[in-house]
Amino acid sequence: MADQVDAAEQPRVEVPRDAQPLMRDFWRRYRARTYIIITAVQCSIMLVIMLTLQLTGIIHLNVFWFFFYAFWASALQNTATVALIHVIGRPFRDLVKAIVLVSDETPTETPPNPNYYAHDRDGFKEILQTVYELSAHDDTPTKPAVTVDDFIKDGLNQTSSGIVILNKDRRIVYHNTHAPIRIDTNESEVLDLLFPEHDDFNDWLENVAKNKLSAERQWARIANKTPGEKDRRIYDVAVSYHKNSTAETVVTLFDRTNEYMPEEEDLDFISFAAHELRGPITVIRGYLSVIEDELGPMMERDQAELMQRLIVASNRLTSYINNILNASRYDRRHLKLHLAEESVRHMYDTIADDMQMRATAQNRLLVIDIPDMLPTVAADANAVGEVMGNLIDNAIKYSNEGGLVHVMARPIPGFVEISVIDRGIGMPSNVLPNLFHKFYRSHRSRETVAGTGIGLYICRAIVSSHGGTITARSVENEGSTFTFTLPIYDTVADKLKADDNTNASLIEQGGGWIRNHSMYKS
Amino acid sequence: MAIKTILCIEDDRFIGEMYVRSLKKANYEVDWMVNGNDGLVAARNKHYDLILLDIMLPERRGNEIMDSLRGKEDLIPQTKIIVLTNFEQDEESRTALEQGADAYLIKAEITPKKLLDVIASLG
Repeated sequence: MADQVDAAEQPRVEVPRDAQPLMRDFWRRYRARTYIIITAVQCSIMLVIMLTLQLTGIIHLNVFWFFFYAFWASALQNTATVALIHVIGRPFRDLVKAIVLVSDETPTETPPNPNYYAHDRDGFKEILQTVYELSAHDDTPTKPAVTVDDFIKDGLNQTSSGIVILNKDRRIVYHNTHAPIRIDTNESEVLDLLFPEHDDFNDWLENVAKNKLSAERQWARIANKTPGEKDRRIYDVAVSYHKNSTAETVVTLFDRTNEYMPEEEDLDFISFAAHELRGPITVIRGYLSVIEDELGPMMERDQAELMQRLIVASNRLTSYINNILNASRYDRRHLKLHLAEESVRHMYDTIADDMQMRATAQNRLLVIDIPDMLPTVAADANAVGEVMGNLIDNAIKYSNEGGLVHVMARPIPGFVEISVIDRGIGMPSNVLPNLFHKFYRSHRSRETVAGTGIGLYICRAIVSSHGGTITARSVENEGSTFTFTLPIYDTVADKLKADDNTNASLIEQGGGWIRNHSMYKS
Repeated sequence: MAIKTILCIEDDRFIGEMYVRSLKKANYEVDWMVNGNDGLVAARNKHYDLILLDIMLPERRGNEIMDSLRGKEDLIPQTKIIVLTNFEQDEESRTALEQGADAYLIKAEITPKKLLDVIASLG
């Protein structure tokens, strides 16, 4: 009855009578109404009886005595009735009083006594006691929300999915036991997940909060720790945002560690093995180049062609090894880019010979259309070379004998856009959204063309680390176009120079680079 | 200053022979050491115009050799150094090596011919 005590301590607020009738006033109103009704009915009956007696001649009274007797008979009857109601109605009255007492209302009368001798005798005592006991044991009606809340929380904790709810200040207000949460330096709870550096959850949320009323987004393969660390889990993450809702952002995390981990471990092993592969491939490529130089002029035409194929194959092997090593580094957050002012033409030139050789060896026509007058871009030449190499290699792989592979570049606002276009087998539209996911290989390519499913993954990683985007368009049996953008150097130069502490935006500088800013403190 | 004399510190026989052969054919004078200790001794006892330095070496690692030669003071200011490695290093030691070296190349990425181009551009 804690609530009743609280209520009693609070200053009483007089509720206007007509606003809501109070239970404690019931008995008084009921009794008054009963008296009025009984008095009216009994007086009427008495009058009817006396009139009948008078008119039938049984009694002969003048007007004075007629009303004298009528009055006294009614008065006696009414008095008897009031006394009877008091005695007969007592259990009913006490029951009402008892209910008022256990309700939230403040009672004004003394509580009914179950030990009253009449109650004791006729068994009404038990009824009153039951009312008191029921209210003492059962406090559910006063706080029904608590049970439902606990019930839902228990349920959420039993799911294998993580659930996190953020309020409009983007602070975590609820998370269940399976959600990966850590305490940050400000001692507030944050999601313990490693989102891609340029596709971060918080950046997305900030953007969405500014521009949208509601939004949904999914991320695949988001880990809480880098490969090799203990207790690493990998999740698919779904986020829904509804502006001004009490639970503005709801994050659902599906633990997919068991599905993803074997592939991750494979990649770990392969990247370890890839280092070993580099030794032999160095020798193979080296001597192939030596033999081509020294014996090339003496070779027959078909021998020279075989030689070219060997060189192309060994170059491709080097690229695949680099893809694996880059993907592994990217996952470990060790993929460092050194952005500098570069021309697209120059970056292509570093891989041009290799690409032409690959196209010729597989009987494809590679047409390069990169204007000299393009603005310079902020890029890591090696990394962008790998992106272009992967896209051209794919275009060669998925195009037809004698097909055309077209590389073109053009400026768009803020960026230079580079496209690799083929007229090959293309892809159905349903595979496009997954194309840049790690280990993703379309059903068809699984059957027809070899590959690891990390080439496009690392392409996207490199391009987005530059602040650019990569997209694919394709029509089945007509060909595909892969397009990526790189920021124009002038648009980002100041920003890059300003924050030298972020690796992705580090501009390579000749000579020393003073990192310790504290030495300038006065 | 044209480069004439070269010290190659490389433990892999095939790779070492491949570079030495190409360099000699291109008329450089080449000494070849197959472990880190011998490499460091050679580098300190004789003047070379260029040192080709591997990282994963027996007895003494390439980064230690770089430290000894160019750590506190530059003992060989007249010599160029090209780091040649297939080993992925963490960013810090790579940066340190790049600062001391005149070039930093991944062996699997280059052919002897390209190496000759790089040497010519340094000279």
